[in-house]
Amino acid sequence: MNLARAVVGRILTYVVFGLATAFFAVPLLWLVSTPFDANPGYAVHWPSTFTLHNFTTLWHNPYAPSSIENSVLLAVGTVVIVVVGAALAAYALSRIRIPGRDALLYVLLLLSSVITGTAAMVPTFLLIFQLGLIDSRFGVVLVLSGGLLPAAIFLLKDFIDAIPRSYEESARVFGASPLQILRHVVVPVARPGLATIAVWTVVQVWGTFLTPFILLSSTDKQPASVLVNTFYTEGGSPNLGLISTFSLLYSIPVVLMYLFAWSRYGFRFHGGIKS
Amino acid sequence: MAVEGLTKEFPGGVRALDALDLSIADGEFFALLGPSGCGKTTLLRTIAGLESPTGGSVRIGERDVTALAPGARDVAMVFQDYALFPHMTVQENIAYPLKIKRQPRAERAHRAEDVAAQLGLGGLMPRRPAELSGGQQQRVALARAVACHPSVFLFDEPLSNLDARLRLEARTFIKRLQRQLAVTTVFVTHDQAEALALADRIAVMDAGRIRQVGTPRDVFRRPANTFVANFIGSTPMNLVPGEVRGTGIAVAGATLPRPDGLADGEPVTIGIRPEYLPVLADEQDGTFTGEVSIVEHLGTSSLVTVDVGGELLGGVVPEGEEPDQGARVWLRPMPGRVLVYRAEDGTLVA
Repeated sequence: MNLARAVVGRILTYVVFGLATAFFAVPLLWLVSTPFDANPGYAVHWPSTFTLHNFTTLWHNPYAPSSIENSVLLAVGTVVIVVVGAALAAYALSRIRIPGRDALLYVLLLLSSVITGTAAMVPTFLLIFQLGLIDSRFGVVLVLSGGLLPAAIFLLKDFIDAIPRSYEESARVFGASPLQILRHVVVPVARPGLATIAVWTVVQVWGTFLTPFILLSSTDKQPASVLVNTFYTEGGSPNLGLISTFSLLYSIPVVLMYLFAWSRYGFRFHGGIKS
Repeated sequence: MAVEGLTKEFPGGVRALDALDLSIADGEFFALLGPSGCGKTTLLRTIAGLESPTGGSVRIGERDVTALAPGARDVAMVFQDYALFPHMTVQENIAYPLKIKRQPRAERAHRAEDVAAQLGLGGLMPRRPAELSGGQQQRVALARAVACHPSVFLFDEPLSNLDARLRLEARTFIKRLQRQLAVTTVFVTHDQAEALALADRIAVMDAGRIRQVGTPRDVFRRPANTFVANFIGSTPMNLVPGEVRGTGIAVAGATLPRPDGLADGEPVTIGIRPEYLPVLADEQDGTFTGEVSIVEHLGTSSLVTVDVGGELLGGVVPEGEEPDQGARVWLRPMPGRVLVYRAEDGTLVA
């Protein structure tokens, strides 16, 4: 009796797991099979006629290769600003006592997550327009950095809070200057946290659509996430072959970066030094 | 080394140090002892320069270092958690102070090797702190302090993270190292046994003030007040209220000899260590008597708690001679070991 129940329970568990896995796996399977299919459709199956035609078409597309380049530029620019800015801000916020510090951080985080980029798009556009940064990649980098910094500071502050102050004090007693302390002690110890922030920022920027779509008007400056929107056939229906091929190429760098960072530092979204 | 009128008040009005005066001789091993929150760590951190005092001065040798940055004071500090840099190897950790002082790389490596060999860390140089045991980490922290040849060592409870047995070994090790190097050392601890064992002199602190400064022998034998009396000693001292009456002091049903300098009828507190209060099986003159309430085994002796007319007195018997619970016993204070404190302010009379 009990055995039967255990067996049924086990079977049900596997069925639920199987369905959940399929839910996430099917789109990914489509993504890796469709680019090689001469007759792309919405169904997931082994390519009926194997072809690399989609890749050559994309290679000769005037904007596709440079859009990936633009994505890289935006990502790198934003990562530099977010990581440096968040590291300095989080270190200061973690080590210096200012009244209302925690409230300030929570409000920043709350506002940045409640007021989505979409809601703030009109004022953002006006601001960038006033600054004369419309159709400039730098403008996009600034807006994206501004959106990501609060959460990055919040994550990183938690991380730096967990670094014992005695590390810095010890270095101070030995005569290290604040900059030396930062370089020799704080940054190396906080490295997993910094890597986490960097990877998270790249992923955010890589997938962002609205901000570059609105702020960049020249097609040659648009990142991959915006360009993929233009792959339609003359008839107005989506060009599945090109979209899937481009999406595949577009995902590879992020997956590689993720694997690299993960093998190198491991990810930790919380503080804590193993000692 | 000396501190004069040193005061530290934290924002919010907490006075961690209250006009402290202290002078420590060259090469002395000096312990700051007190319960947690008494200001001993604040004092150490103020000497190191990690806290700035609100008043008073700190002198090291001939220099007034009160306004100097920590790095300019020529001190080395060992922290309670050792503060070894987790991303550096043992070698890099030990050589770090030398790196800051811009010593050439070869000199750094050489000195680190020397110090490590001296502290028995020879084979551990390429390891990281996470790969060391607690005792080894503690020695690396010591080595790092030794490597920078300071004029003062500051130790902030460096033994409290070790287990009991290792602590005894490390204690001996630190004392030997300090004797060898003859560097002035200030050692913060809340463990009275550690302070008694290690220090040349001890300052017992309470609530930001120094309650007594003296050699371990002084502090143990003649605690200057009831606070020190209560704090020092591995078994708590018996502190019993009494009153001066005629030629003696009436305490818990017994009469003890009366010292000079006390008025008739004055209330006093009598302090006797359990070790100086042997438990007897038959009646004698000048003894307390009562029933045994608890017997605790301490190894070579046992601590017997006796209910003497409502006061609980601790006495000691050699191992194997423990009385039964509830038995009537007599406690006879050893002559010359009875301390008399004024009840009013807790100061020592005799």
